[in-house]
Amino acid sequence: MNRILNLVATEARIELRERYALSGIVLYVLSSSFIVFSIWKQLPPKEWGLTFWVIFLFCSLMAVLKTFGRESEGRYFYYYTLYHPLELFAAKVIYNFLLLVFIFLVLWFVLFVMAGNPILRIGWFLTTGLMSCIGLSFLLTLITSIAIKTQQNASLTAVMALPLMIPLLINILRLTAYSSGTTPDENPWNELMLLSSIISLVIGLSLWLFPYLWRS
Amino acid sequence: MMQESTTNSPFRLAAWKWAAMIILIFVFIAGWIVPLKPGIIKVTPDRAVAGEMMVVDVIGYNSFYLTDTTKLRGWLRLSGDTVIQAHHIQAWDDRNLSASFYIPSVFPVRQEAYPLTLVLDHGAEGTSILPNAIFITPASVQDTAEMKLWFRDKIEHVHEKAGVQYPFRNILAETIRNTYFHVPMWFCMIILFGVSAWYSLQYYRNADIDFDRKSVAFIKVGLVFGLLGMVTGMLWAKNTWNAYWSWDVKQNMSAISLLIYAALMVMRSSVEDDMQKARLTAGYNMFAFVLLIPLLFIIPRMTDSLHPGNGGNPALGGEDLDNTMRMVFYPAVVGFILLGLWISQLVYRTDKLKGNL
Repeated sequence: MNRILNLVATEARIELRERYALSGIVLYVLSSSFIVFSIWKQLPPKEWGLTFWVIFLFCSLMAVLKTFGRESEGRYFYYYTLYHPLELFAAKVIYNFLLLVFIFLVLWFVLFVMAGNPILRIGWFLTTGLMSCIGLSFLLTLITSIAIKTQQNASLTAVMALPLMIPLLINILRLTAYSSGTTPDENPWNELMLLSSIISLVIGLSLWLFPYLWRS
Repeated sequence: MMQESTTNSPFRLAAWKWAAMIILIFVFIAGWIVPLKPGIIKVTPDRAVAGEMMVVDVIGYNSFYLTDTTKLRGWLRLSGDTVIQAHHIQAWDDRNLSASFYIPSVFPVRQEAYPLTLVLDHGAEGTSILPNAIFITPASVQDTAEMKLWFRDKIEHVHEKAGVQYPFRNILAETIRNTYFHVPMWFCMIILFGVSAWYSLQYYRNADIDFDRKSVAFIKVGLVFGLLGMVTGMLWAKNTWNAYWSWDVKQNMSAISLLIYAALMVMRSSVEDDMQKARLTAGYNMFAFVLLIPLLFIIPRMTDSLHPGNGGNPALGGEDLDNTMRMVFYPAVVGFILLGLWISQLVYRTDKLKGNL
């Protein structure tokens, strides 16, 4: 566990050393919400939820894309001798998870300032956000680890990850609609159950497959 | 299953390949040629006021009204077994007839408007039904004495048309034949993707490049069947839902599942190293196939959808798939799956030959 945390700390240190990294994400969030908002002019609750998750998805894609891109090949070989693949994976996932939570909060704040906050059930929305951060961090880390091995990893990450995100996204959108009260649905537990079962599928599969895909 | 045929003679095919061919020939012939049972296409006028005599002109489909005109009977059904019978039915030709009804001015139930279902029974030609054929607006003066004009009749004493014919369903009409082509395509796609995922698992266990070739061949053919399923579905949707693409959840989910596998093929083409390519394919393939299950089978069931078998709609069954249709439908499923497996094998062999050159 300590070793994993060490790796996470290293990741964070590298990220923070380059100032533009985190501020780049914040700027990305700001400018994309600005574009969306200047198109819509105002955001009714339903569109608010949709806008939120569309921006969130693209931000998270962009942020996670460089998970494996930062280090050189030699560094990975070094890691491979030092750490078990699962340790490396866990470190990357934890780091990406924190990044996604950061994006989630920043985006919520930005849209809150720009378009108000239609979320009535804050607890539900936070749960949804937390779960989607968990699910997406596992899924995106696995997909980037595949895409990094190919020639054009940036576009391939998007191409491979976006369709796989959709089952998650649909449930997330329904839960968001529930938390902003724009759906007559009064029993969100089904959705939550389905979301958590899809996420646990993603987690189980990625834990099983990552060590295999990483070996090269 | 993967037995190699050693001779060049085309007649030395494995038995299941012959079975696939014969079944598919049967499916295509039976699926195209067997006629539909008689039905009702149109009724004019389709609305009337209660308490008046009305004459409706009926246009039939595959009907033969002139064959035995004395045995024509007609009813208008309100709901359940509450009906009124036609006073007189006059057949003009095989496709046109006129039926006269007296609509009572009072109704057993009170509603804004009363949709009535037209039921025609015709001796040897069988029964035809048009739901919600005529809408009746209530009369201004209601005579309670006319309540006795309503009959209690379950209309069970009707004739069944003998012989092999598909049911006539309103809206579906002739497109009901698409059941034999559209549905088996998707079954076949799922089976092929499943086989492919199984070969990926084999590759995961012992890194033999041959398993990779097999799994990719099955994905390629599965994609083709998926595309065919989508095209047949879109043509069907144009005829029944009035749009090729209506952003129905089932349409979206199946498009996404095709996107996932298309992404896999793109990913393969951008990796140089063969072993690397095979490993990434195996990993992504298994990942994708497991995520396909909630995508295709769970989420559409939780949402409102136009597609049968999803939220708010029953699956295949009842009058949409009667015993005559089952006699073609089940062979069609088996035949298309066998065809898919066969083509995948051929693709695998050509890929292997290309790789060896």
